[in-house]
Amino acid sequence: MGEKVARRDWIKVAGAGIVGLAIGAGATYGLMPPRVERIEVKPTPKPIPKEPLRLGVVTFLSGIPAPSGIAGLRAAEIWVDWTNAAGGILGRKVELLVEDESEGVEKSVERFKKLTVEKGCEAIFGTESTSTGLAFGKLAEEMQQLWLSWDGTTQQGLEETIPNKKFSFPSIYNEAEAVAGAVLVAKYFPNVKTVAGINDDYSYGRNCWEAFMSVLKTLRPEVVPVKELWPKLGESDFTSHIAALDAAKPDLIMSSFWAGHATIFLKQAAAVGLFKKYKGAMVTAGGVLPTLKKEFVPEGVLIGCNSWYFEHPLGWPLRDKFVKEYLRRYGEYPVYECDHAFFTFQAYKAAVEKAYALKGEWPTKEEIANQLRGIKVPSLSGYRGYREDNYQICNFFLGLSKHDPRYDFVTLDPLDMVPFELMCHPPEMKFHDWVKTWKS
Amino acid sequence: MFTLDAIIGILFNGIFYGSILFLIAAGLQLIFGVQRILNLACGSFYALGVYTGVTFIEFFMGIGLPHIYFIIALIIAGLILGFIGPIIERGILKPIYAREMEFQLLATFALVLIFEDVIRFVWGIYPKISKVSPVIYGELRIGATILPIYYIFVIVISLTIALFMGFMIKKTKLGKTLRAISDNREMSAALGVNVNKFYLLSFTIGTIMGTIGGSLMAPVTAAWLGLGVEIIVYAFAVVVIGGLGSMIGAFIGAMIVGVFKGLAIAIYPELEVLIIYAVVIAILIMKPSGLFGRIEE
Repeated sequence: MGEKVARRDWIKVAGAGIVGLAIGAGATYGLMPPRVERIEVKPTPKPIPKEPLRLGVVTFLSGIPAPSGIAGLRAAEIWVDWTNAAGGILGRKVELLVEDESEGVEKSVERFKKLTVEKGCEAIFGTESTSTGLAFGKLAEEMQQLWLSWDGTTQQGLEETIPNKKFSFPSIYNEAEAVAGAVLVAKYFPNVKTVAGINDDYSYGRNCWEAFMSVLKTLRPEVVPVKELWPKLGESDFTSHIAALDAAKPDLIMSSFWAGHATIFLKQAAAVGLFKKYKGAMVTAGGVLPTLKKEFVPEGVLIGCNSWYFEHPLGWPLRDKFVKEYLRRYGEYPVYECDHAFFTFQAYKAAVEKAYALKGEWPTKEEIANQLRGIKVPSLSGYRGYREDNYQICNFFLGLSKHDPRYDFVTLDPLDMVPFELMCHPPEMKFHDWVKTWKS
Repeated sequence: MFTLDAIIGILFNGIFYGSILFLIAAGLQLIFGVQRILNLACGSFYALGVYTGVTFIEFFMGIGLPHIYFIIALIIAGLILGFIGPIIERGILKPIYAREMEFQLLATFALVLIFEDVIRFVWGIYPKISKVSPVIYGELRIGATILPIYYIFVIVISLTIALFMGFMIKKTKLGKTLRAISDNREMSAALGVNVNKFYLLSFTIGTIMGTIGGSLMAPVTAAWLGLGVEIIVYAFAVVVIGGLGSMIGAFIGAMIVGVFKGLAIAIYPELEVLIIYAVVIAILIMKPSGLFGRIEE
């Protein structure tokens, strides 16, 4: 009885926290805008270096994760073009130097060092793999190089390896989409009793499954896992996995596939009508939303789009301008990695300008880092920021797949915006301790 | 543990995957059987087939070809792509037939790297995913199990090719000549067989089997850099299990790999890769020449 009451209470909290867009008219878009601060500029500013500002990017340019990495890179390029057209950062033109993340952690570490030491990049952006993220976080602190991650942050890993982050700025906790997914599964599929999971066999996939089940079992204690599958990242044949999922006969299938493998899995799943038989929660598949065609994604599958949805009833001029430009350049709709990439560059620029305004000369990396902490800037999805412990803050968009005649891919309707506070634990708490508090 | 429906589904998907593996491994077998070249580029032929298949689908969708004909377009794509076979055989392999096997292995590994760059150049680094899925061909229901008709087509095509290849090698003059070359190249040449011509032919057939395997997977999977390398491991497992140079061995080996992989995933997923290696090790210990391979002095 006690559990039931606690659950009901929690669901009330969750329900209040989730901003249903359909009923959320008038709600603010994303985070509140920053307060306008008056900053006194020193009277005799020193000259700003004339040479272009070199910024490094390490992201997936090939392999199954490439659609996501390339989308981030494209957004970075658009940001650079727009920024340079407007005069650069404090008058310095920005140059991007790009390296591939797809050849493993060791190569990526070499490339981070190359960009920092040989190429003189003043900050490194990107990364999507959690294993690369772990290595980069440590490396950034050792080399005192700024690293602004787009994605791929294992919270436990970073907390253990870099407890006091000075130069590394991780993405939002990776478990966030699994947490949001579990909350919405409880909302949309209240009768689910058994769950099967298919997730990538590395830290991200494992963490997502663990977080998803942890939250779902908190909300629905009767839910039990009946199958766990761990294909390696890069797998392109899921037919046997799908047969195994079908054999388990779960009420719901959960997956945190986030790039090309999400599309492949959904295509192969459609061939045997998997999501017509069972409910589906693809909590990160929105990373490749334009590739999720209506032919093979049925209506009613819960799809997570991370921090970005390309269409939004509440409107946001920067998003609309970006979508138009992206469509013009690449002939397709942007995905969430664009928002992460765009945000990191926006934040960097704002931090440089803020630090310069305080000091009157081009700031050091440490001074830029100090300004990044707690910053809020407009990004493609609304206002986004960094928390005082260097983690990104943003809200997430998830919803049920819908076949809209205007698009050849599935769109989301209803669309839910899950606020940051409902997905990410406060810095002073560990994730599982935080989830346990939901019952009380 | 599993219902009958579930067992049918697991076995069916294993056979489907095995059918694709057979096409790749059979190409590998034929080329080794006749030319004694261990062709590491067999996975690249498969990858090129997937890319070309996706391109063909997009093209035929563009001109409004009814979806039902896509499978024919995909087979044609695989056949057309076979043109790379003679180019490779004449341009790269012919000059090194007399060299050591290690040298030939390096040459075919170089081909793997070259094809990665060719793919990068022609299709770019962005994965290609066709808009068409196997759903378009409908489904066959057995109880609660849904068997995609497209997968059945692929299994039938693979089986037909296996039977045709078996018949060709055993019963036709061409097959007898290929076997003669395989047994004793010098003696065949001395008896007037134009060995070079048959090398060209066997390599082209081997290439086409790989490219058709790839093109048939175009509606099912995605084309991406690294796809060719991923499949090589399984193709070689098939060869070790079935026996190097044996066509029936390739078929049985492919089915064993496909079905064992499917069963492992369904029963104990952690064993997915291990089970294949366990079978390979068991075969190597108990019958080093493979189930249908010949022991050579």
